[in-house]
Amino acid sequence: MKASYNWLKEFVDFNLPHRELAHTLTMAGFEVEAIEEVEDDIIFDIGVTPNRPDCLSIIGIAREISAVLDLPLKDVNAEIRKQEGGGPLIEIKAPDLCLRYSSRTITGVKPGPSPEWLVIRLEAHDIRSTSNIVDITNYVLLETGQPLHAFDLDRLAGNKIVVNRAGNENEFHTLDNEKRTLNKDTLLIWDDEKPVAIAGVMGGLNSEVSESTRNILLESAFFNPVSVRRTSKFINLKTESSYRFERGVDMIGVKSALDRAACMIADIAGGKVSHITDIYPDPYTPRKLCVKYKKINSVIGIDIDESFVENVLTGLGFKIKREGDGIVVTPPSFRQDIQRDVDIIEEVVRLYGYDRIPSTLPAVQMISAPVHKTQEAIKSIKNAMVKSGFSEAINYSFLNPEIMDKLNIPPEDRRRKTVFIKNPLRKEEEAMRTTLIPALLNNVSLNLNRGAKTLRLFEVSRVFLPSGQKLPDEVIQMCAIYHKDMSASIWDDKHDGFYDLKGVLENLFSELGIRDYSFIQEATSCEPYLHPGKSCAITVNGEKTGSLGTLHPSVSTAFDISGNINILELYDIEKIQKAVSPTPEFVSLPRYPYVERDLAIVVSKDITVGQAKETITGIDSDIIEAVSLFDIYTGKPVPDNKKSLAFSIRYRASDRTLTDSEVDVLHSGILRRLEENLKAELRT
Amino acid sequence: MLNEILSIKNLAGEEIKKACNLKDIQDIRIKYLGKKGVLTGRMKSLGSISKEDRPEYGRTLNESKNFIEDLLNRQEEQFRSTELNQSIQTQRIDVTVPGCFVPFGHLHPVTQTLDEITAIFISLGFNVEEGPEIELDFYNFEALNMPRDHPARDMQDTFYINDDVVLRTHTSPVQVRVMEKNIPPLRVIAPGKVYRCDADVSHIPMFHQLEGFMVDKDIRMTDLKGMLELFVHSVFGIDTSLRFRPSFFPFTEPSAEIDISCVICKGTGCNVCKGTGWIEILGAGMINPRVLEMSGYDPDLYTGFAFGLGIERVAMLKYGIDDIRLFPENDKRFLEQF
Ligand SMILES: [Zn+2]
Repeated sequence: MKASYNWLKEFVDFNLPHRELAHTLTMAGFEVEAIEEVEDDIIFDIGVTPNRPDCLSIIGIAREISAVLDLPLKDVNAEIRKQEGGGPLIEIKAPDLCLRYSSRTITGVKPGPSPEWLVIRLEAHDIRSTSNIVDITNYVLLETGQPLHAFDLDRLAGNKIVVNRAGNENEFHTLDNEKRTLNKDTLLIWDDEKPVAIAGVMGGLNSEVSESTRNILLESAFFNPVSVRRTSKFINLKTESSYRFERGVDMIGVKSALDRAACMIADIAGGKVSHITDIYPDPYTPRKLCVKYKKINSVIGIDIDESFVENVLTGLGFKIKREGDGIVVTPPSFRQDIQRDVDIIEEVVRLYGYDRIPSTLPAVQMISAPVHKTQEAIKSIKNAMVKSGFSEAINYSFLNPEIMDKLNIPPEDRRRKTVFIKNPLRKEEEAMRTTLIPALLNNVSLNLNRGAKTLRLFEVSRVFLPSGQKLPDEVIQMCAIYHKDMSASIWDDKHDGFYDLKGVLENLFSELGIRDYSFIQEATSCEPYLHPGKSCAITVNGEKTGSLGTLHPSVSTAFDISGNINILELYDIEKIQKAVSPTPEFVSLPRYPYVERDLAIVVSKDITVGQAKETITGIDSDIIEAVSLFDIYTGKPVPDNKKSLAFSIRYRASDRTLTDSEVDVLHSGILRRLEENLKAELRT
Repeated sequence: MLNEILSIKNLAGEEIKKACNLKDIQDIRIKYLGKKGVLTGRMKSLGSISKEDRPEYGRTLNESKNFIEDLLNRQEEQFRSTELNQSIQTQRIDVTVPGCFVPFGHLHPVTQTLDEITAIFISLGFNVEEGPEIELDFYNFEALNMPRDHPARDMQDTFYINDDVVLRTHTSPVQVRVMEKNIPPLRVIAPGKVYRCDADVSHIPMFHQLEGFMVDKDIRMTDLKGMLELFVHSVFGIDTSLRFRPSFFPFTEPSAEIDISCVICKGTGCNVCKGTGWIEILGAGMINPRVLEMSGYDPDLYTGFAFGLGIERVAMLKYGIDDIRLFPENDKRFLEQF
């Protein structure tokens, strides 16, 4: 809401420079967002909160100033000196949507340009001057907050106004020359035959005041706020009028605004003002609210002087009566926001000044604050990832559903069943994501395009999966992506990034205290966007909880990224959190020495390290402490279809020192087992 | 006989003195003390010495052996240390070659800011609670005193899933969900993502908020002031001033907006604070009794306060980030600065 310094001064005789006045308004809850200096005047841009439609007017703001500064507020001059002829014919057929309709005709007007002062004032408040009659209705709207409309009386069939719903009328030409589609509940202003305005929003082209207009009908009304709001949304048209009507105008002020405009029109454009027609079947009944002084002080936290309370409320137009240990307050009709005692308490502390109340800390009862386990798990995961060199990304939760094709996601996959947004900002952001992968791939692409080489990114965020309920399932996932630049380091680091990422996960599980996990490689890919031969599922406690693998080459191409890209995904952090073991249990350190023996075997290439290891540990013995792989070798002299695996096996008994001969027996037993089960040969 | 031994001893002494390296020492050791060494031979023939001469002869032999051994050891030690010193002199690595390590990653600045703020409130005894990001219109609006067709809904541009479901526009619905299930006293913070249908140079459609609230007997507006002062001082320093202005939120009454003195210009006026010296950072207020009633609390018995703040905004001020659109971009060069 724009407000002129000079105009405000017409109502309150304050003696404050404009910057101080701006500060005063801001500290009273009317934030001055901008100050513009124009010729001979200063224009404030004031943020008026939706609960204060009364301050969408110069008088409203002036009233606040008068209350804060304790100065008298002057009245608007709205006295009509001479009323000639009867009031116009008005009929309300939708009394639920139109609670008051006041009207006068003015006959013999001379439309023309407005006087300069009026033009300047309107333009300073962002309203373009058209002609004197329309300008005056706008001027009174700014001054009082009451929207008004002037019809060309001679273009109203039967010289009559009917207020009624649109019914079957489904189109209307508004005076901005747009065709508007209506619904049956849209409230319209009709004449005897046709609609002439959309009530509270905009008038029609068919009854617009023009240069040839001689007689006008002036409308000042109270329309149902919800109805105006719905209409304004439905036809997608927001006007100065609709903005005020939907917040609620002053039921009592309807008449005085009409009179104020009629006076001004008669003064400036000439003409004779008729008597009033005021259809007001159910006059406004004031509310009475009781406020205890004790309550005021207990909510705010300090003792505020009773006379201050009474003075401030009176200044704001409230009527007050002392009663017992409190007051009975009657708020004015323009303060529909005042509904209960706290609303009055707010008025008191608002004008007392928030800055004047002291700071205290609450005296509270101690309560236990349990640790939020999921949050803790997320924190551990994030910290472990950071220690492993990964930086955290946070992406929008939006998804372009078309991207599912790029990821090779099959049609029946749950992740295709996205939640759609009715009003997305962009088509590519029309769904809520069901996977974190595409956003991270886009991050990789963006970073590579900007010259990054090695990239380690991860994200922990929610995805939104169909649940069959009103709200989808929100599942917290983790996804990490590693783009390895094979030429980046002088240090020996030429292996596939898959193993780096696998190591990161194993470290992460160790940090979380998850011990029972495995990597399962199936004949087919565990995820359609992963390379079928270079990926695996991750299980925790036997349940599939994630995937790890190299990005499928076709997905790389679809996202226009290349290089060694590996992805780690954990599907449900809350589930994983439940597998986190509590405090670790101490195991005594071994008391007897160990014996370490190496074992190098040659096996067929399709035998995995995991199979070999399981074969070793599968032997019936309790003295194998650890088996570690230290070499994989292919090439001469190992035959083409074979590879050599070298393990170091550590033997230890918990109750004695092992003898060489018992280790020898077991070690050769292991070799025999490898020979029998895997057709392994001892490498010589 | 004795003279012979003494001359062997002297000869050995001479040779040891002339030795040039460890190899020479080794040779001398073998020559005199080895299995077939000169002195070893004499030791073996001790039996052929007459009984009366044997003790003295034996003693002289032993003394000579010890003398030579000692001399050899000392000389050997000498050579070893010289050799070590020489080899150390020639061994040199280039310490300017980069270290071998995987550099640590970085938490997103939003996470770091959120963690810092969360820690402050946890230390004050607040619980962390969460709610859904796709939320019922009821919790996001209606239970917060914003019925359908209420103009206050215009304060937040909303993404709709359907007529009853929205992307939450603030973290305040968590307040209602918590109050529905618990009885006072309550001290809760609810961090999380929120969504607004708005994107331009200073708005992104998804950002982070932290909602905090407290419900108990005798919670006063002065307590809200004190709590927020404590929080602002923890994050921005004790020198930061606060300014409480009246405002409007449907779910609080009285409502306030809180400005802090500009952390960039220290209140003298700059671009960030648009020359005012103040930056708006928090929305807060006493929980509207109507909201308490809707959760089944007696507003005559309980009062409470609530506040909400935008995390990106705090992060921007804390780190001096000048463009909010950098947060969702995840440029490595941005992330690695924090
Ligand atoms: Zn500044």
